[in-house]
Amino acid sequence: MQQPTTTFQFLGLTFNVGNMISILISACLVLLLVWGLSRHITMKPGKGQNLLEYAIDFTNGIVKGSVSGEMGKNLGLWAFTLFLFILIANQLGLFLHVDVSGVSYVKSPTADPVITLTLSLMTLTFAQYLGVRTLGYKRHFENYLKPFSIFIIVNIFEEFTNFLTLGLRLFGNIYAGEMLLTLISGMAVKGGPLMWVVSLPLELAWQGFSVFIGCIQAFIFVTLSSVYISRKIEIEE
Amino acid sequence: MFSYSVVGAELYTGDMLFVMISFIILMFLVGKIAYKPIVKMMQDRSDKIANDIDSAEQSRTEAAELASKRQAELASTREEASGIISQAKDSGQKQRDQIIDDARQDASNLKSAAEKDIERQRQEALANSRKDVASLSVEIASKIISKQLKEDDQKALVDSYIEGLGKQNDTK
Repeated sequence: MQQPTTTFQFLGLTFNVGNMISILISACLVLLLVWGLSRHITMKPGKGQNLLEYAIDFTNGIVKGSVSGEMGKNLGLWAFTLFLFILIANQLGLFLHVDVSGVSYVKSPTADPVITLTLSLMTLTFAQYLGVRTLGYKRHFENYLKPFSIFIIVNIFEEFTNFLTLGLRLFGNIYAGEMLLTLISGMAVKGGPLMWVVSLPLELAWQGFSVFIGCIQAFIFVTLSSVYISRKIEIEE
Repeated sequence: MFSYSVVGAELYTGDMLFVMISFIILMFLVGKIAYKPIVKMMQDRSDKIANDIDSAEQSRTEAAELASKRQAELASTREEASGIISQAKDSGQKQRDQIIDDARQDASNLKSAAEKDIERQRQEALANSRKDVASLSVEIASKIISKQLKEDDQKALVDSYIEGLGKQNDTK
């Protein structure tokens, strides 16, 4: 299933315009959200500050569930940003889907495997970096030989599958949601007025479900990321 | 990535770079704008609450201390007041006794002085009468000597004289 895209080459790299616009919009929305909610930070919190504090508590709770101590505190910002970014990116395509002559310019950036796999690659690289920083090179790479030295094959393969599953899970969920939404709306457009009546509640229901899926996937992504990090920063028994 | 390569699309390496950089910039800005101030404020708040709890505990103990001190002061004041009252009562009693004693003393002094006066006056009166008797007897004796009297006359004379003396005594 190949969708047409608008691409351009720059410094030998291929850029997808639709993805870039979507990422920029998501990032700007996240920034706008936290900027708007954090205008008047006071000792006695207002509504916006309460919401923001609740969100921070939530992501901190995810991180503390797997990473304890000082490291868990330092990962708070990372988890908060990742969660908000994925959450907003997941919802973006549900409300705003701009197609120009068949090419999507605004959609969920997370409905593209390149983006989700990049996020998961970043997470796992970050985990490797933290593992080396807390344990040192020697003990970090010794972890691959546990419980037996033959397990190095399994462990390296596991890193690879972690990378793939983390990214593709997010991509699959969001992509499937968008795909079905496009199918339903296409059905409405092609089927005439009667199909409008049938497809409107279907679209509504599926959009609601996709919002739910998007939230769940953002939560799962952050949770699994912190689990992968926690496994890298401690010595395996 | 793989699904794309399967259907023959190219790998958007630029997008990968773009999402990485934008995520890092986003993380930096979110940290600057919202996360750090909020977390700092949350920390400040929890510190403040802990402080408030501590200071509330402290002021509660202080208040209890003050209350007990005041209670003790009240009790001591009451004791003092009752002491003052009883002292006043005592001194009043003493003064009354003193005054009564003084009055009694004065009365007895006056009485004894009066008695003494009376005694003295009696003695004086006796002494006077004795002197009178002596002078009279001298007079009588001189009269007898000057005038030869008979025994009866002399007796009548003495009687009349004594009678006169008794009269004189009575009038006195």
